[in-house]
Amino acid sequence: MRLKKISLGPKLYIAVCFLFFYLPIAVTMFFSFNSSKSLTHFTGFSLHWYEKLLTDQNILAAVYVSISIAIFATIISTILGTITAIGLSKSRKVLKEWILNVNNIPIMNPDIVTAISLMILFTSARLERGYITMLLAHIAFCTPFVITSVYPKVRSMDHNLADVAMDLGATPFQALTKVIVPLLRPGIFAGMLLAFTMSLDDFVVSYFVTGNGVANISIIVYNMTKRINPTINALSTLLILAVVIVLVGVNLWPAIKAKRRGNPKYQAVTKRKSKKLVPILAGICIIAVGITCVTQFSAISSKQVLRVFNSGEYIDMDLIAQFEDEYDCQVVYETFDSNESMYTKLQSGATYDILVPSDYMIERLIEEDYLKKIDWKQITHKDDIIPSLMENNEFDPKNEYTVPYYWGTVGILYDTNVVDEEDLAQGWEILRNPKYKGDLYMYDSERDSFMIALKTLGYSMNTTNKKELLEAYDWLIQQRETMDPVYVGDDVMDNMISGNKALAVVYSGDGTYVIDENEDMSFFVPEQGSNVWTDGMVVTKDCNNMELACQFMDFFLDKEVAIQNTEYIGYDSAVQSVYDYYREGDYAGNPGCGPDTSNPLNEVFRNQPQKIKAFTANLWTKIKSHK
Amino acid sequence: MKEHPIIELKNITKNFGDQQVLRGIDLNIYENEFLTLLGPSGCGKTTILRIIGGFEEASDGQVLFNGDDIAKLPPYKREVNTVFQKYALFPFLNVYENVAFGLHLKNVDEDVIINKVDKMLTMVGLKGYEKRDVTSLSGGQQQRVAIARALINEPKVLLLDEPLGALDAKLRKDMQIELKKIQKEVGITFVFVTHDQEEALTMSDTIVVMNDGIVQQIGSPIDIYNEPQNRFVAEFIGESNIIEGTMIRDCLVKFDGIEWECVDKGFRENEEIEVVLRPEDMDVIPATDAKLCGKIVSKVFMGVHYEYMVETANRQYKVHTTENYELGTEIGLTIDPYDIQVMHIG
Repeated sequence: MRLKKISLGPKLYIAVCFLFFYLPIAVTMFFSFNSSKSLTHFTGFSLHWYEKLLTDQNILAAVYVSISIAIFATIISTILGTITAIGLSKSRKVLKEWILNVNNIPIMNPDIVTAISLMILFTSARLERGYITMLLAHIAFCTPFVITSVYPKVRSMDHNLADVAMDLGATPFQALTKVIVPLLRPGIFAGMLLAFTMSLDDFVVSYFVTGNGVANISIIVYNMTKRINPTINALSTLLILAVVIVLVGVNLWPAIKAKRRGNPKYQAVTKRKSKKLVPILAGICIIAVGITCVTQFSAISSKQVLRVFNSGEYIDMDLIAQFEDEYDCQVVYETFDSNESMYTKLQSGATYDILVPSDYMIERLIEEDYLKKIDWKQITHKDDIIPSLMENNEFDPKNEYTVPYYWGTVGILYDTNVVDEEDLAQGWEILRNPKYKGDLYMYDSERDSFMIALKTLGYSMNTTNKKELLEAYDWLIQQRETMDPVYVGDDVMDNMISGNKALAVVYSGDGTYVIDENEDMSFFVPEQGSNVWTDGMVVTKDCNNMELACQFMDFFLDKEVAIQNTEYIGYDSAVQSVYDYYREGDYAGNPGCGPDTSNPLNEVFRNQPQKIKAFTANLWTKIKSHK
Repeated sequence: MKEHPIIELKNITKNFGDQQVLRGIDLNIYENEFLTLLGPSGCGKTTILRIIGGFEEASDGQVLFNGDDIAKLPPYKREVNTVFQKYALFPFLNVYENVAFGLHLKNVDEDVIINKVDKMLTMVGLKGYEKRDVTSLSGGQQQRVAIARALINEPKVLLLDEPLGALDAKLRKDMQIELKKIQKEVGITFVFVTHDQEEALTMSDTIVVMNDGIVQQIGSPIDIYNEPQNRFVAEFIGESNIIEGTMIRDCLVKFDGIEWECVDKGFRENEEIEVVLRPEDMDVIPATDAKLCGKIVSKVFMGVHYEYMVETANRQYKVHTTENYELGTEIGLTIDPYDIQVMHIG
């Protein structure tokens, strides 16, 4: 009896560990078969997301980039690292120790430092960023790992064995391949595995050194997480499956090999085969690299190219393909995760033709002379744009730089079953109504949170008055203390579809989407005024083909195109007819769709002075860490 | 047998940095001979082997193989193979693959290889071990694999670098006999390096005694043992009493104040010399009949014989005999003329 009790503890511990490790993976795999977009409600089995995954050119391209880069980086860094390790063992002690220490620096270095250093290096060397730079970067950060795992094996190796091989008739090269490499195999193998995994799941370095639309899985997934996209689950499931197959194969391989080793005759046959197989495989690899390079360069050189830099999940990729066909050009499409990271990339010297930033960022780009004026004569659909979006634009007063893309406002999404209609009159103040304590989501955004507080207090959301900002700070602190709000990102949509809480601060487009999925939800924009935001397409100074750029922007103002694009994005289109189409059609009566923005208290975010930015950022940190 | 040298070393020197490990080595190695390089560690014997094998380049001098200078030839082009210290088998290959390594490199037909490996393993007594992991073999078995692996390439000369060093005493004895047998069977030259004089005496046709980078004496085991040319050789090989003395004239030597008949000639009259007396050549006779008398001061039983230390007027003598005497017994000692070996001082 006692014995049993003792043995239960460790088992339970193991069980909990495994649960902790594998539950997230299991959940991901489970929901990859969900028929709806929800990540919390299983609505039925379907292979819909797999189908979507396999037809998504973007993801497939990223899978190819990730895997091919991982393979090449692994092969090259393994060769480099192994040779270095062997060479090191023969060099003088001082040099050896020195190099080994230097070798550790890139390993210990934070990824971000490596990433930025490489980015600066490639920029100053005027290397065009893309596949090659990403490959070079991966080789650079993988090689130290190979050296670290191979070197101990080299040190413990019997150096006589190389002499023995040469004594038996092996040339130095044969001694290397037939004796030294097999001796080091465990170390080389460990190094290869490390290099491969490091390369395959690298995000930070890849993100900074890539360009020209080349993206690996990590970058694509990271940009996809901006919106709920269960395709990620399907992709993750397939990746996990691949890893499991590889691991099982690696573990079973010695057993299979041992079996085959039995018969020398049989072995002789296989040896002959493998002898031919190696050069063939090497040949295939080289040809593959060649093709990759050639297709990359030829594609760039033969057609006119448009480089577009957009927020993640903010365009229907099918439309880009359609545009490429119609105008016989190539669109190099890249995505960013925030206006700020886009700005960083621009500063680092990345060049694009078209950007799609938000209002305040456009203002900043205009101020800092990054943009070119648009040739409005070439925008045939100019008059189709919602007139109000073309008037009184403080961020671009004369409408010289911006072609509005999508727009919306910020409001409150509420559960009609829980929230009293009368309470809505309180406007933003409802977020401090004790009745809903612990029952609300705030949007995890510095400017939107301050906007809410400032608007409630009757101030401008673009205020530069520190006293007013401090009052807003007090308002938010008090809300944190009394209301227990949860700060969330885009997961707010999924949570609200599931009806997890009664109130949530959301963008109008997201509100539309939630209401469409959950009829109990409704949306309103408080009377105190709100942020009315516009994302616009702008043309950079680096653009040499204004005609093509204008054709691209004009293309997305076309009614048919914009309808399809809006279907995908779910925000309010800047095209009047499309806006009306949705307001009167599918989303008629949905208060999140095309909310009333005529309220004079509404404002547009402005680019603020650096000092004020730092001041609010500091206050925001305090609010977030307040207990 | 001795008409045709297969390897000739001419005035070989080798420096490692400031250190000179070989100081002008001249050596002829003949076909089918079992030649042993014998000397204490650090005497340069392994360096000679590595120069012949091609792993070291001589600082000066010539290495001729069948009359051709091979100084610049890399190891893999030389018709010699080496059995290394501590076996040095490839741990990632099994017995068969280890032995077949050299033939695989030459792209020999696998059927031929299977045949040859079979013959080699039979010769070294490891038939049936083909699929065994080399790391699972005993030291002696690993050594046999190493020998088979070297011999399968049919070299003209096999170099062996202290190949029995890591084996225990019993196994060493067996392997010594076996190696000699193998050498006779394959009929090629063996160049064997060891610091064990007994091993050298057992196996060799020719022994090259070395010290401090210089050849001390070259000769057959019997010559080396019975007629050491200097104190180093005498002390290094077997046990000996070495006594300073004077050569009165041919065949008459004087030491410890006593004149002795001997067989050595060709020394100057009254030349200062050294005499080597092997302990087993010292005969015990009754003290009353003896020119040289002494008292037994120590006695050790060695198995077949006793080792006595005999205190005489001038020195202690080491004496080996099968007779049993009590400690403290007064005995006389005598030496036959042909058992007295006279050497120049040097």
